[in-house]
Amino acid sequence: MGVPNKRAKRELNRQKAAEAVARAQSGADNAGEIQLPQKKYYRQRAHANPFSDHRLEYPLSPAHMDWSTHYPAFLNPDPTQTTLEGSRKLLKDVEVVDIGCGFGGLLIGLAPLLPETLMVGMEIRTQVTEYVTTRIHALRMQQQKLKSSANDTSSPVPPLPTSTEAPEAASSVSQDTTTTPSEEPAPTGPVTGGFQNITAIRSNTMKFFPNFLGRHQLSKIFICFPDPHFKARKHKARIISETLNAEYAYSLRPGGLLYTITDVQEYHHWILRHFREPEAGEEVMEVDGDDEQLVGGAGSIKELFERVSEEDLQQDPCVQVMKEATEEGKKVTRNKGNKYVAVFRRKADPEWP
Amino acid sequence: MAGFFQIPFQTITFVDRDHAVAPSLLISSAGAKLYSYAAETGERLASWPQDVAVDSSKAIGTEASSEGQGPPGKRRKVSEPSDQAAEGPTESQKVTWSNIPIVLASSNGQYVIALTAEDKCIRVFQLSPEGTFQQLSQRTMPKKPGSIILADNERSIVAADKFGDVYSLPLIASSEPYVPTQRPRAKNTEGPAATNLTVHTKRNLEALEQQKLYKNQNKQEPQKTALSFEHQLLLGHVSLLTDVAFVALPVDASSGQKRTYLLSADRDEHIRVSRGPPQTHIIENYCFGHTAFVSKLCIPHWAPEFLVSGGGDNFLLLWKWAEGRLLQKIPLVESDATIVVRGIWAATFGNSPEVSRVILVAIEGSSQLRCFGLESDGTMKSQAPVQLSGNVLDVAISEKDSTITVAVDSIREPQSTQEWRASPSSILLEAFHAKPNASCLEWEPAAETVVAKINTTGTSDIPATADQKQKKELNDMFYSLGNLRKSAGEYLFRARKLSESRKVALIQFILDAAKIPDGVLAVGNVFGPNSILEIVGGESGTTGTTPLVFNT
Repeated sequence: MGVPNKRAKRELNRQKAAEAVARAQSGADNAGEIQLPQKKYYRQRAHANPFSDHRLEYPLSPAHMDWSTHYPAFLNPDPTQTTLEGSRKLLKDVEVVDIGCGFGGLLIGLAPLLPETLMVGMEIRTQVTEYVTTRIHALRMQQQKLKSSANDTSSPVPPLPTSTEAPEAASSVSQDTTTTPSEEPAPTGPVTGGFQNITAIRSNTMKFFPNFLGRHQLSKIFICFPDPHFKARKHKARIISETLNAEYAYSLRPGGLLYTITDVQEYHHWILRHFREPEAGEEVMEVDGDDEQLVGGAGSIKELFERVSEEDLQQDPCVQVMKEATEEGKKVTRNKGNKYVAVFRRKADPEWP
Repeated sequence: MAGFFQIPFQTITFVDRDHAVAPSLLISSAGAKLYSYAAETGERLASWPQDVAVDSSKAIGTEASSEGQGPPGKRRKVSEPSDQAAEGPTESQKVTWSNIPIVLASSNGQYVIALTAEDKCIRVFQLSPEGTFQQLSQRTMPKKPGSIILADNERSIVAADKFGDVYSLPLIASSEPYVPTQRPRAKNTEGPAATNLTVHTKRNLEALEQQKLYKNQNKQEPQKTALSFEHQLLLGHVSLLTDVAFVALPVDASSGQKRTYLLSADRDEHIRVSRGPPQTHIIENYCFGHTAFVSKLCIPHWAPEFLVSGGGDNFLLLWKWAEGRLLQKIPLVESDATIVVRGIWAATFGNSPEVSRVILVAIEGSSQLRCFGLESDGTMKSQAPVQLSGNVLDVAISEKDSTITVAVDSIREPQSTQEWRASPSSILLEAFHAKPNASCLEWEPAAETVVAKINTTGTSDIPATADQKQKKELNDMFYSLGNLRKSAGEYLFRARKLSESRKVALIQFILDAAKIPDGVLAVGNVFGPNSILEIVGGESGTTGTTPLVFNT
């Protein structure tokens, strides 16, 4: 009977972690150290069936989405500004999405890099989403604590939990804390933005991406180490396909970037194929049977995306974060695997025929 | 017990033809057969397939009796991709389907396109002046289409399937054998895509070893069967597609230039507006507003800027679809009863200036055909409904004659999708004449002799011995839209042949997932098409049933 005990224990620990963060947020527990959640209590089977209904919550449309609880620091001070659901609006729109954010490494790595950009991670696994949410809350609390203690020494400003806080007020950041927020130890110093600009939601993006994000709303989409679905029969479940790329193109603004990284070479070629890019070198892979079909016609997804050159990628700090900060990225490094990066720029919509 | 039950018409279509050349027709499907009737007289002109045993029990009850290898609809792969070319006389054809859910005709009255259900086959027929069917092509789709329309000046067929893909096929398949455009295969990389750089756990590594071994032993992998006819994948949803619409909209009021669009509706409440071919990968917007699945889209031909959509919600939505703008929410029922919209049709009757523009709406398992006036300012008003003797199954509209012909359910009680009538009704069709009157339409019975003739000719009998199971299959055949609804306790499982022990394990898994405590449940399983596993029991100890659709 070891299994149910283990499960119960994990549930208890998850609860404890969430409560601790909540307590810290309400200010009741000001003394203790804020503990980050531990991943081992949130493990979940790596695969989820994207075709089943699950029990998902999603807004009726992007105009109905309540982001106010996700980004309290970016709340519009005018309470009369509301979404169609009646919730408070934000000062700005979400602009960056990490599809399949997993344990949130990318978001946490990107947060100080783009402190004024709202970013959301979408993850289909409940427990993993719960972990990321708790982790972000804990990180925010830690940052506030750091800041208030810094403030206490200089001037007796009461530590305000949200809204009035200016994210850019944080002091200068040392290089190593921003780029390497490793998985368990939290950054010890203050971090630009104080992690107020990141959040995670549970969602099946293959079905409900357009419910959250409107036309041309995004500047960046990240798809990092997607489930490779090795079996040909499962290729339909891959997060990248030409038909889904049409949806990503809908949400990305012209000039916006779609980042992909994988450690599976075959998947990398699949990605290139599904963006109609010539595949690298000699290694053209077998396309067998009807397991994949490319959207036909004279026009194709190629009209909407172009691959970003290697030189441009060198300049892009996001690529470095994507390679090093994600949990999967670290794992691949540990196992001395390969990392294949492909980034695509959204072109403007072509003329009507 | 007086007389037999007749299989009701599942679809009915009016085919308008130039009277000088050929008489107009009513094309209808009932059970496994397609019929054509002269619209003037009601005389049956032809049926297809011709020499199939009239014994309908064969066609309907196949799964139960013959072969005993499971329902034909659930076969995962059609082993032999059928030829695109005409198969010559259809006499020799074996009927492998139980019904024909989709029938449509080209506007010039030359072609009829029909979908046979279980074999997922789109068949194109040429209609002779005498009204007979000549099959030109049969094309087996990878998945069962939920909607088929004609697009691109009726040169191509657009089919949307239950896997979320929309394909385009030429209406007339070219006589040349189809050569798929293959991308160059430079290197045939045998072996699994995974490597020991990407999988690490002991079990995965073992599996990888096995796969490598297997690949080496089996050089001849069974080649997957791609579609053997010309086709294009236009777009895809990760959902079940229920309807598509193709429409051309003027760019602006002055120029005659038009842009084409493809609208697609799915089970996850979405209506997507994409550009028409060849730019279907460009999504223009979405129409958000439904809270349950969408089952029907209707774009009135006289006002293509509007869209009326319906589905599992108890309201219709009226859209200015190009902007994704919701204009009106039209309630269909007063209470918050759950209903399913079965069909939406748009029609204009009368001559100008007295033209009535109406939207007709059929609700699944309802004997009323609802009627709404659609004003040019974009408002819909409810009008008096048409009352029928049985549930509305399909509607054929002849605008020229201002008549509608309604296929009604002769075997089930009005207002029920399950209860069979105590005694058979002979009314398969009813026709009505639309009379514009002041602000709304009045309906009066029309073409009585034609309808009477068709009704007395009948279709085919349902054997008196039909048992509960066959009845249930017939119910599912006619009323399946409700299955699209997502409900709290609903689990859709696709599983292949399972051993008894795996079945038990799966059931346990479902119960765990549903958090139903064991002990308070009874599990019964019936296997057939859409087998229902009934789980009796619930969290509060109350007894309720949770149907689980379980396909083997």
